[in-house]
Amino acid sequence: MTAAIPTIALVGNPNAGKSSLFNALTGARQKIANYPGVTVERKAGHASFADGRPMSLIDLPGSYSLTPASPDEAVTRDVVLGQQAGERRPDALVVVVDAANLDNHLCFALELIALGLPTVVALNMLDLAERDGLTLDPAILSRELGVPVVPTVAVRKRGLADLLAAVDGAILTHQLETHDHADPPPSDAALHQRARAIARAATLSETPVRRWTQRVDAVLLHPALGFLILLALMFVMFQGVYAWSEAPIGWIEGGIAALQEAVTAALPDGFLRGLIIEGILGGVGSVIVFLPQILILFLFILLLEASGYMTRAAFLMDGIMAKVGLSGRGFIPLLSSFACAVPGIMATRAIPDAKDRLTTILIAPLMTCSARLPVYTLIIGAFIPNTNVGGSPVGLQGLVLFGLYLSGIVGALVVALVLRRTVAKGNAAGFMMEMPRYQWPRLRDVGIALWQRAWIFLRRAGTIIFVTTIALWLLLSYPKVPEGSSESQVDYSVAGRIASGLEVVVAPIGFNHDIALALIPAMAAREVAVSALATANAIEAGDDEEAMAQSLSERLQGRWSIATALAFLAWFVFAPQCISTIAITRRETNGWRWPLFMVGYLFLLAYAAAGITYWTAVAFGLG
Amino acid sequence: MNAKLDSAPLGVAVRISRIDWDAMSHDEGRRLREFGLMEGIDVTPLHRGSLFSRDPLALSVGRMQVIIRARQAAMIEVAPTAP
Repeated sequence: MTAAIPTIALVGNPNAGKSSLFNALTGARQKIANYPGVTVERKAGHASFADGRPMSLIDLPGSYSLTPASPDEAVTRDVVLGQQAGERRPDALVVVVDAANLDNHLCFALELIALGLPTVVALNMLDLAERDGLTLDPAILSRELGVPVVPTVAVRKRGLADLLAAVDGAILTHQLETHDHADPPPSDAALHQRARAIARAATLSETPVRRWTQRVDAVLLHPALGFLILLALMFVMFQGVYAWSEAPIGWIEGGIAALQEAVTAALPDGFLRGLIIEGILGGVGSVIVFLPQILILFLFILLLEASGYMTRAAFLMDGIMAKVGLSGRGFIPLLSSFACAVPGIMATRAIPDAKDRLTTILIAPLMTCSARLPVYTLIIGAFIPNTNVGGSPVGLQGLVLFGLYLSGIVGALVVALVLRRTVAKGNAAGFMMEMPRYQWPRLRDVGIALWQRAWIFLRRAGTIIFVTTIALWLLLSYPKVPEGSSESQVDYSVAGRIASGLEVVVAPIGFNHDIALALIPAMAAREVAVSALATANAIEAGDDEEAMAQSLSERLQGRWSIATALAFLAWFVFAPQCISTIAITRRETNGWRWPLFMVGYLFLLAYAAAGITYWTAVAFGLG
Repeated sequence: MNAKLDSAPLGVAVRISRIDWDAMSHDEGRRLREFGLMEGIDVTPLHRGSLFSRDPLALSVGRMQVIIRARQAAMIEVAPTAP
């Protein structure tokens, strides 16, 4: 046999606890990439057998059977059949089943066992099943299935060593036997009958089901109360993003200022010092500052997902989403898009209907992603007073932020309604989903996911934002304004002159030269608008001590009217200023047609929204 | 008596007597079977819709809970469970 490191694939139904098991086996040693040609995430990692021999593990997308209903499930089938390009057929399968849901999960398990690969069944979440009043006999199950069955509790790391030992043994015995038969696939009904018979045989005793989950659902899925709770949760989430990030943002700002001082002391005045202080620290720093808010938002989303609440939210939202031609399935990608449209658009793969999916992709950028937060918080902080609304504990700034989120959502619903009647016409979308049990989110799993998100953000800050910021700094700094000229350095620079051209187009909607200047590099990523304003501001302040001492928001207050600031906010509700989103849309829709359509309609909406906001505000005397 | 699942009262177990497989798409039918929704199976409708709609329907099948739309539930005939 080959000396290559064996590849073991984890495979099973959605909600079988596969990812927790994968996390427990590999720890943080994971690599996430895409399968070539398709945009399905490939999660791989390493672990070792008891004697130290390494193995490579892959976590396949959750699936109900070997007949795929979505691109994710197609990957699962192709990998286990050895038909996935660029992927060796796994040397062994670990079939993960939820101990409390054997009737159903054994169907897929039987299909997988029939493939004839060395297979071990992980009887996962046995503790929850026992809490649920279910007593199972793994030995009977193993006898009926004809493969080893190992009880595991992935989240408590129980049974892992036994599982790996069983896999090792299965590979070994497999090599000694000959396997040239493949059973013909049984019919669905026959499969179900066998699965139920085996589950019954292995169940020693059982009490009525899931009382705890059903009691919680009586409240959380209540037609009126449940809906109010969902709204309240989302409101708390957005207030939390604003309120709890204040202190950590202060620490980061302090750290950057200290670095800038240290550089000033260490380097002589000149090109390098300017580049580091104004370009790198000023520009990238002004984006890193928003890491706390992004992490708080992701933390909420991850907790809602891990606890099982997210499917309930999808259930509650399905009625509304159906009215605009979407389904509750779309709620999860759209909610993820509040953190970032890129994973959101990728999550639309779980939507089986093509038109439903296309519409969800096209409206995903309208959800207020975390990259807008830097822009929103800067402008809100500068122009909206930090007071409470009428003596209530509700802050005005938080309320405005909530309003911006709401505008995006309402805009998205209206756009979906129009799209489903025009370019994405089709049958009413379906909505079929399994509702998982409630469970306490595991700190470890949430922690790993949060760290992966933080890393993606920091990498973005370190690459796209870093490069655009430096390019902008150079374009702003050269050519140098001649001595004694009345023009400012920013106006005289290359970037300033380009901005003057754009200003003609955006002046009618109340945008000034500052904004025109910020919009161009912000095509790369929205948050660059903030670093662009910061960099331009730093260059313009130059050596003017008084101007240097002012914060960016103080400077903006002096230069922008409230009407302009509000128009700028309205612009960013719609504007598709994000290269990553455009790129992922191209990939997911296989061509340039839909991303171009998306960019076009969003810019039109952005222009109209900013214009209407500006003209209204001016009419109310805020110009 | 033959009632449809979409109008069955909540919280009362019923037995699926007939599913109109021809009225639904192939994928819909397959997913229903994967959820374990087949003739002869007992299900309990649990929750129906929210403030704004009678859709969707959450029901329990065995130890699992699944969500389907009322349109699909209307293709499933149910009868009282045998006493």
